[in-house]
Amino acid sequence: MGIEQFIFYFFALVMVASATMVITVRNPVQAALFLVLTFFSCAIIWMVLEAEFLAIVLVLVYVGAVMVLFLFVVMMLDINIDRMREGFIRYLPFGVLVGLLMAGMLISVVGSVNFGLDKFAEPARHAADYNNTRELGLVLYTKYVYPFEIAAVILLVAIVAAIALTLRRRPTTKYQKPEEQIAVKRDDRIRLVSMNSEKKK
Amino acid sequence: MPDNMQTIYIWIVLAPLIGSIIAGLFGKKVGRAGAHWVTIIGVGVSCVLSIIVFKHMVFDGADPFNGSVYTWLVSDGVKFEIGFLIDKLSAMMMVVVTFVSLMVHIYTIGYMHGDPGYQRFFSYISLFTFSMLMLVMSNNFMQLFFGWEAVGLISYLLIGFWFKKETAIYANMKAFLVNRVGDFGFLLGIAGVLMYFGTLDYATVFANTDSVVGKTIQIIPGSDWSVLTLICICLFIGAMGKSAQVPLHVWLPDSMEGPTPISALIHAATMVTAGIYMVARMSPLFELSETALSFVIVIGAITALFMGLLGLVQNDIKRVVAYSTLSQLGYMTVALGASAYAAGIFHLMTHAFFKALLFLAAGSVIIAMHHEQDMRKMGGLRKYMPITWITSLIGSLALIGAPGFAGFFSKDSIIEAVGLSTIPGSGFAYFAVLGGVFVTALYSFRMYFLVFHGKERMDEHTRSHLHEPSWVVTVPLILLAIPSVIIGFIFVSDMSFGNFFGDAIKVLPQHDVLGQLAENYHGPFGMILHSLVTWPFWLALAGVATAWFLYMKRPDIPGMIQDKLKFVHKVLDNKYYVDRFNEIVFAGGSRFLGKLLWQNGDVRVIDGVIINGSAKTVGWIAGIVRRLQTGYLYNYAFAMIFGLLFLLGVFVLA
Amino acid sequence: MNFETPNIIPAIPEITLLSLACLILVVDLFVKQENRIITYLLSQASLLIVFLLTLFTFTTETQFTFSNTFVRDSMSDVLKLGVYISVFIVFLYAKDYLRQRDMFKGEFYVLGLFGVLGMMILISAHNLLTIYLGLELLSLSMYAMVAMQRNSKAGSEAAMKYFVLGAIASGMLLYGMSMIYGVTGSLDLAEISQKVAEVSDQKLTIFGMVFLIVGIAFKLGAVPFHMWVPDVYHGAPTSVTLYIASAPKIAAFAMLMRLLVDGLSSLQPHWQDILIILAIASMGIGNIVAIAQGNLKRMLAYSAISHVGFLLLGVLTGQQAGYAASMFYVLSYVLMSLGSFGMIVLLSRKGFEADNLADYKGLNERSPWAAFMMLIFMLSMAGVPPFLGFWAKFAVLKEVVAADSLLWLAVVAVIFSIIGAFYYLRMIKLMYFDKPEDTQAITADLDLKVALSTNSLMVLGLGLLPGGLMALCIAAIAH
Repeated sequence: MGIEQFIFYFFALVMVASATMVITVRNPVQAALFLVLTFFSCAIIWMVLEAEFLAIVLVLVYVGAVMVLFLFVVMMLDINIDRMREGFIRYLPFGVLVGLLMAGMLISVVGSVNFGLDKFAEPARHAADYNNTRELGLVLYTKYVYPFEIAAVILLVAIVAAIALTLRRRPTTKYQKPEEQIAVKRDDRIRLVSMNSEKKK
Repeated sequence: MPDNMQTIYIWIVLAPLIGSIIAGLFGKKVGRAGAHWVTIIGVGVSCVLSIIVFKHMVFDGADPFNGSVYTWLVSDGVKFEIGFLIDKLSAMMMVVVTFVSLMVHIYTIGYMHGDPGYQRFFSYISLFTFSMLMLVMSNNFMQLFFGWEAVGLISYLLIGFWFKKETAIYANMKAFLVNRVGDFGFLLGIAGVLMYFGTLDYATVFANTDSVVGKTIQIIPGSDWSVLTLICICLFIGAMGKSAQVPLHVWLPDSMEGPTPISALIHAATMVTAGIYMVARMSPLFELSETALSFVIVIGAITALFMGLLGLVQNDIKRVVAYSTLSQLGYMTVALGASAYAAGIFHLMTHAFFKALLFLAAGSVIIAMHHEQDMRKMGGLRKYMPITWITSLIGSLALIGAPGFAGFFSKDSIIEAVGLSTIPGSGFAYFAVLGGVFVTALYSFRMYFLVFHGKERMDEHTRSHLHEPSWVVTVPLILLAIPSVIIGFIFVSDMSFGNFFGDAIKVLPQHDVLGQLAENYHGPFGMILHSLVTWPFWLALAGVATAWFLYMKRPDIPGMIQDKLKFVHKVLDNKYYVDRFNEIVFAGGSRFLGKLLWQNGDVRVIDGVIINGSAKTVGWIAGIVRRLQTGYLYNYAFAMIFGLLFLLGVFVLA
Repeated sequence: MNFETPNIIPAIPEITLLSLACLILVVDLFVKQENRIITYLLSQASLLIVFLLTLFTFTTETQFTFSNTFVRDSMSDVLKLGVYISVFIVFLYAKDYLRQRDMFKGEFYVLGLFGVLGMMILISAHNLLTIYLGLELLSLSMYAMVAMQRNSKAGSEAAMKYFVLGAIASGMLLYGMSMIYGVTGSLDLAEISQKVAEVSDQKLTIFGMVFLIVGIAFKLGAVPFHMWVPDVYHGAPTSVTLYIASAPKIAAFAMLMRLLVDGLSSLQPHWQDILIILAIASMGIGNIVAIAQGNLKRMLAYSAISHVGFLLLGVLTGQQAGYAASMFYVLSYVLMSLGSFGMIVLLSRKGFEADNLADYKGLNERSPWAAFMMLIFMLSMAGVPPFLGFWAKFAVLKEVVAADSLLWLAVVAVIFSIIGAFYYLRMIKLMYFDKPEDTQAITADLDLKVALSTNSLMVLGLGLLPGGLMALCIAAIAH
């Protein structure tokens, strides 16, 4: 077993194990951290596939930004783990069965029988100075410019949707309104009321 | 002009439909006045256009139009389409329908004044006009059947218009059921046409009659039936239901429970004549079957005479007119049976005018009498209601066939044609129609004298309020009185004895009784003069005289006759016990049979197992499956995964 | 590397709509709440503009651009026109409803327009990537729209379910795409079609195809991937339900056509069997469960599921005529669906949702015209002649019967549609024969009434004259 295979199997194993942990551990913070590990292992495997740029982006974006945000949110919320896990045991056998079936089916189809080297030739290896980032950039802005633009629109929609769903002005919140404060007149502040004098009882 | 004609045809049917929709669906919005204006304008447009078409067809001598406007469905080569066949026959029917309808619309403003269902009523009668036009303008059996059912449905709705009245509900149910019997025959007839001709188009059917002549069918093993005879008799059974021929006549007198304008429009002038029109339209088929013609003439003769007799004992003013309608429909049917289709249609036209007139006049009397319909409580009304009086007199004279009036020409044509006919049964029919003349005169003038002359038998309160109703009632009366006088004179030469209808009506040479009559025909004046020496004139005169004697001169005699001939009176009063018979034998029998089948067949097998069983099963499954929709997200996700697994298992591994 | 500027002419409607949507997004910021009608009018104007653009550049030949990731043909143009019209109607119907519920905000329209853009991309996709991205753009807009009524628990719940299930479904779709890519080495539908036909062992491609079909079935709402439909239809504000229940069906049909017919035509015998299963299950579950519903929106959701079953019938024949019949079906269904949800909007008022069956009792006494319109929609959905729905069912069934050895399927479909007729007729019974419980007058703006009346008369009119639309669909598929 060469070093490449070793790295692949090792990190693949780590990835599967940590992915399993993500859905089984009780503590959401731990789950989030396992997810980080999953992403990291994944990035390594991509690296082996010579997809250096994507691997780094995965680490930077998912691990560096998304997951940190996620951790913040998880830690700020008080999530009742036990309630969420109700029924977990009950459905576990069924879930395991379905999962095994699924896995069996995937293995039977995706395994080397169908995707072996005899079916698909080994992809050509690139030279050491092959610039992955440059190649990606070239197709991204030429051949795939249309999907690229659509992806941009999707992000725009995501922003709009996020703002529309979360931004709310509470009528009860008090704001300072400088323009009104400056424009205020005497009559707005004081109201003179003439009353008859009253006798105390 | 011909390019525009098709547009005109379409608008003739659409205008009343639009009016009806507006009045029906937006009745509250447009208000009462809006409802009657919109429908009157719709029918008015239709009427004017019909007259244009009539002029185009008759006076400009245009070729008949036969074309489809819209193909709805083509299934296995059979086309279901909406098409118009416009020839002189349908053009004449269109004018009659729209004109009478227009008069009735106007009249209704006065008659239904203050009724809570005002808009609904206008919507219905406009819808009726639309359906009736679809029926007469049709060029195929499908559309004919559509119109046929539609007018039946609206008639049902209108008879039961005052649905809080128990008798009205009973009457409309009766009309509906009896018409179902007729429609069943009609549908069988159409099915027969489709089966043997492979098409529903009139023109194609009529062009291919040769291929069906002589074909037989075995309904009961061992006896051969001529296919054409069977089809014709089935179609005629449909006509018997709609045109109220014995024994399917029982619904028409009861239909008088509906408002009077309906009686005039639907149950006198138009819908009930649909059967007559249909048979005339089918003349190329009926001509080929002597058996069917015989059947037609006998049924018509029975209706003409015996229904007239019933009119003698009725005291309800509308029922007298209703029985007279039955009897006149019998005359038309007799004409059809004698192959004098043209005379039958001619009588249909004149009858539409004078019978609508009589009904509306009766309605006018009813309004004045505060919805009192019993003639024994009337009398001497001519002083209070001069217009109604004069127009009624004109209508009655037209009805009994007084020389010169519209009814005279058409009725005499029929009687003479029957006299010449050699169809089996024509001898009996001739006797029946002659006898009918006397009877007609007797009951018509009995009614006339009882209502307008003699002692004033109403109570003091009613008398003090007696007056002619408003112009919306009287104007239609006058407008209908005009054709009741002159229309016969104008058209008799063409319709009865000329070749007015051209190819629309086909008569075999050996049946052509009208053709024989035409040889001795010397114009309308000749006909009037000639009539003075024939039986019908004297019989009619005798009838009038008898009526005068019995109800003016010696009003005590009718009571004596009634006492002496108790049995006869009782038979007549009970309408020959047909209703009772139907009730016991058909209704009772079918109830018994129904109960038997219901308890054993329906309840146990069909309801228990098939209907309720399947409904229950479906409901049960629905309840179970509905529970799958738990509302839990993981259940949903699981369902998806499971679905995926299933598909993968079946299609990838298998 | 040579870079040619792509020909953007065929994509002019998409580009225009994107620009206009961004413009509206900005303009909306400066519009005061009381002038929000401006946003509405601008959105409608945008739809009108792209409608005219598409109409005037209507093509009868197939044009590719953007390195073949974009295709424009007659089918795409007709479907896009259908999308514009239905979204235009949605915006129109929804206006008063949104106003009464303080939801009359620019986001609804901006998201709606972006959703339209997503549908257009999906309809014109000729590449697995564009299909996926178009789908995501559409879905994302819809998730947000469902959740827009933030104070509504049912709305949030529905949005959550929709989002999670949608994510699972697009995960599956993506997985299927990766499989297909793995086998063929291409994302381009034409190349895929060509390479799949050459592959000897189809196991892998079928494997990928099953995942693709799951993704499509979810979007269409076919059983067993339908679970989201009733909950989302029910939970979302009716204005959004209107949106979800109409135009996206057209887009989902396009997706089905692109992936299966354009991409995997050589696997037709295989996907035919899968679609048969989905169709029967959808017609069965949809029609039967609809009977047990007391809520009109849920009932219509199940009815939508059953209609999807019918829609699949035409496609699974694998014939041009069958595709045309399905296209006719989807366009007709959208028209009927818009009308029936429009009726809910019409009868709803501030603080009252007319979405229970009981709310329709005695409608005829309250408003004969409203009852009549609902009658048209119900009868049409039940497939009663002469309404449009009859022709849709007739066209599809005709093609199924014409196909070899599928007669039994037509019989099954007829049986289920008879079962389905029950709940439509029950609705009519409620409207015409029961006493009204609600006696409030029905008030609505004139534009809503006119539009709804036009909608119902179109269902009737196209039912009387179905030839034109049918011919259009046949021509669109043939080119």
